[in-house]
Amino acid sequence: MQDIQYIGEHLLPGRLGHFFVLAAFVSAILSILSYRQRVLQPEDNSWLKFARVSWGIHSFSIFAVIGILFYLMISQMYEYQYAWDHVSDDLPMKYIFSAFWEGQEGSFLLWMFWHVILGGAVVFTAKRWEAGVMTWLSVVQLVLVSMIAGVYFADEFRMGSSPFLLLRDTMQAPIFNNPNYLSLIEGNGLNPLLQNYWMTIHPPTLFLGFASVTIPFCFAMAGLWEKDHTAWLKPVMPWTLFSTGILGLGVLMGGAWAYEALSFGGYWAWDPVENMSLVPWIILLAALHGNFIARHTGLSIKTTYIFYILAFLLVVYSTFLTRSGILGEESVHAFTEMGLEWQLIGFIGLFAIAGIYLLATRNKSIPTVQTEEKIQSREFWMFVGAMVLAFSALLITFSTSIPVWNKLLDVYGSIMGKGDMGVYHKAMPLDPIDHHNRFQLWNAALVAIISSLAQFMRFGAMGWDTFKKRFAKHALISLAVGLLLAYLLSLWIFLPSWQYIVLLIAASFAVISNVDYIINFGKTKLTSMASALAHGGFAIMIIGIMASGLNKQTISQNRFAQEGLADGLNAGENAFLIKGMPMYMNNYWVTYKSDSLEGFTKSYEVEFIKVNETGDTLEYFTTYPNILYDRQLTKVATANPHTKRYLDRDVFTFISGLPPEHQDRSNIRKVDSLLDYKLHYFTPGESKDISSFHVSLDSIILGTEHSEYDQEEDDLVISGAVTITDTVSQETYKVNPTLIVRNGLLYSLADQINDLNLRMRLKASSLDSLFPMDEDLPYEGLTMKSGETTTWNDLEITLAGIDKNIDYQGYDAHPDDIAIQAVLQIKNQKNKTYIARPLFFIRDGSPLNMKAYVGDLGLHIKLERIDPEKEAFHLFLARISDTPVLPIEIAEEVPRNDYIVLEAILFPGINLFWGGSLLMLFGMFLGMYKRLRKQ
Amino acid sequence: MIKKSRFKIMPIIILALMGGGILMLISASKDMSTYSNFEQVKRSGESAKVVGVLAKDKPMYYNAEEDPNLFRFHMTDQDGKTHEVTLNAPKPQDFELSEQVVATGSFSGDEFIASSILMKCPSKYKNEEVLVRSNM
Repeated sequence: MQDIQYIGEHLLPGRLGHFFVLAAFVSAILSILSYRQRVLQPEDNSWLKFARVSWGIHSFSIFAVIGILFYLMISQMYEYQYAWDHVSDDLPMKYIFSAFWEGQEGSFLLWMFWHVILGGAVVFTAKRWEAGVMTWLSVVQLVLVSMIAGVYFADEFRMGSSPFLLLRDTMQAPIFNNPNYLSLIEGNGLNPLLQNYWMTIHPPTLFLGFASVTIPFCFAMAGLWEKDHTAWLKPVMPWTLFSTGILGLGVLMGGAWAYEALSFGGYWAWDPVENMSLVPWIILLAALHGNFIARHTGLSIKTTYIFYILAFLLVVYSTFLTRSGILGEESVHAFTEMGLEWQLIGFIGLFAIAGIYLLATRNKSIPTVQTEEKIQSREFWMFVGAMVLAFSALLITFSTSIPVWNKLLDVYGSIMGKGDMGVYHKAMPLDPIDHHNRFQLWNAALVAIISSLAQFMRFGAMGWDTFKKRFAKHALISLAVGLLLAYLLSLWIFLPSWQYIVLLIAASFAVISNVDYIINFGKTKLTSMASALAHGGFAIMIIGIMASGLNKQTISQNRFAQEGLADGLNAGENAFLIKGMPMYMNNYWVTYKSDSLEGFTKSYEVEFIKVNETGDTLEYFTTYPNILYDRQLTKVATANPHTKRYLDRDVFTFISGLPPEHQDRSNIRKVDSLLDYKLHYFTPGESKDISSFHVSLDSIILGTEHSEYDQEEDDLVISGAVTITDTVSQETYKVNPTLIVRNGLLYSLADQINDLNLRMRLKASSLDSLFPMDEDLPYEGLTMKSGETTTWNDLEITLAGIDKNIDYQGYDAHPDDIAIQAVLQIKNQKNKTYIARPLFFIRDGSPLNMKAYVGDLGLHIKLERIDPEKEAFHLFLARISDTPVLPIEIAEEVPRNDYIVLEAILFPGINLFWGGSLLMLFGMFLGMYKRLRKQ
Repeated sequence: MIKKSRFKIMPIIILALMGGGILMLISASKDMSTYSNFEQVKRSGESAKVVGVLAKDKPMYYNAEEDPNLFRFHMTDQDGKTHEVTLNAPKPQDFELSEQVVATGSFSGDEFIASSILMKCPSKYKNEEVLVRSNM
């Protein structure tokens, strides 16, 4: 291929970007080597300096890469594939961050960014552990940088996917034969689904959570490597607590996003992607508790190591699952493939092998304490709790990894030559929500009980003989009050099976026990407070999950539709609501009142009124679920729910269906083409009986009253004002079928009466017969004086005078114009009088005019000239026939287009879930704060 | 004496937890479903996931006015057999454009009733996937 000199490309930023990626790669290697030397030769200070400089260069390079990529995107340099793919000219700047991390490369950069920030904190605070931790952090960074390196080996294997690729290098298209292709393309833009503030705040939080898991992992690896198995247990603590807090927040935000902006109808759906962000968090909690035990008793150091390593590996595994495309058939929001599967597997493999190797070689040096764990000791139950957590994570991972098991089967099959293993493939559980809930329920109950009891115990069961009375007292009080609370809650929460009764008792017990603990211990010790808040928060969260999940009630059920179903199988969750017509459903009168378009968002006003048996209003509120259209306003891009929030419950509303015409403009013609239009001719004033309707054409008018008509300059608009009476109900309706000529194109605007399933439109050809080209009209001259009355054919015409207040529609007044309108009264044979106001004006010395049209008479009138001396007005009049005829096409049995399909769900006690979760995370941060202060 | 009995409780607790865990794992693995075709699902009488494509030449039914929770379409499974699928939920937007459909459900008589469908749509924004649940 010959070289083409492309016009307007900016190649420098891309080259700089590549350079900094390589710089980050090389400096990560230097950082690894020099920090490693520092560990091996702790007395030699020069290595530390060199290592810090290397890390500094690495950090700067990462910032530079991010900065350059942002620059490409902000400047809309579409010659770069990443910018083209994620930005568009019309993308609001506030979504530039969302666009940045929408793609895989950007999200890897976000991950590295947080590593750099956290690494900086390690450099400044870790002291003795800096070198060991930073060695491993640099290894992780090295692997991550390789994911965006975009370097080819032997033309076959590509290492990483670079964000600085040129568009013309990533795809083959004829457009790239044009040197000036840049002027022809515009960006792809950000998926409208992601254009909300959650996309701005959720990924950074989640990735900070993911990145923060790396630090405890690095501590653990450093501890193993340096064979110093106890000293790291203390400094790692605040990092772990920070990580559990922030990762938990990230996961929770994901739930909030799903609940607030997506159509799940809930905050958690056990989707694989959600699961795999939750699992590392659970393992990290297990590690945290192992760490507590190890710190206080010297036990379970090995377990702590394993959990920290596992937590990090699960973060990488989660990355693999969501980015490799392996979840394709199972998940709603997995990334699409990037060709990095093997590299990601290598990522997991590398650190798994490193972890196993270090554990195996250091196994003997890990101290084990030779005491029997006593059952009355805190560490025993903490350990059991950690195991329950680990088991919970294992179970979730097991079910979520089914596509991986299938792949492994295939690999096994191809190695053993067994051919296609497809028949052995399994799919995820049919109802993942039920599946996971059923099992995790037990883990939650156990965690609630164990965490509460363990808090009242002491490490090493110190002084148990004297302490046990107190323990028994607290346990019994908590149990008694907990049972009472559970009973009270059971009056409110619907419990479908005994398992949930157990869970409710466990959670209630845990709430009371933690309150008890705060009262008795929290006052004096902040760490106790933190622990009780975290555990109590967890218990409250569980109650919130039960209340909002089990008591979840669908409001939007059409009783009437239900009765029509023969088998009565399914009442459905979606209700059909006609505009302005209240519908009664599950104690609420629900009305779709109105809708309004603002920008690209169409909001629907839905009113809910709850009444009691005597008709008193108990509750009244309005929600505004909306629809986001695409940038051309032709198609629905996404529907956003709207939730009415109360302290004790939420009412979630969501537009789950719209008339096809409102979903997609292209459907307007499709729907119209399916209708059976019948043609009827009307003269003004004429009435006809069509089916059970009495239809009359009141008049033909220039202009229209049609509600959907948006006036534009230079429009020519003709409409019929039609009155329809339903002979059955005697209801009367007015419609205005309309023809519009805009920019030389003819549009027909049909008008619909939804209550009668009737649609009306003007036959397009009627324009020619009513309003032909001006030169085709047989104009006749008529000269009149003001006040004069004359006869023209069968019409009696009076020139009533002139008016200088111009009201001519479509006349664009210039400041120097001299303009008047003649006021003509025209009376026909039926003694009906019409007013016509033709316009005459002088612009730049030339006389100009604009004609008046009396539709009912089919009369065109021009004021051609004014003779001031004789006070004579020279008029031109024309009409094609005495009685204009309007051809109206009428279709019956037309589907309604004034409805919404609404989903409305009541979530009682959902704030217990949010509140409990936040309390739990707050407890973790409090614990971190406390430990930081101690250090 | 008392001390000895304490030592016996601990292994029991651990064994009980492990036993419970193993039971859970076994029962969890029974929850796994299979990818199947219409014929097999019909024969087995159980629920499964059918992977296929929308039969675009066959009619599709959704009329919100009559029943907002009834959507019917035809789908061709991987063995080339086409069958009607009933979903008790509104019709997902742009369903006509879907490239792949995974329908989870079972037969009731001759009718395949889906409890959920996952569809993949080609779009400007790469492959979007939409999950629709009927929540029966």
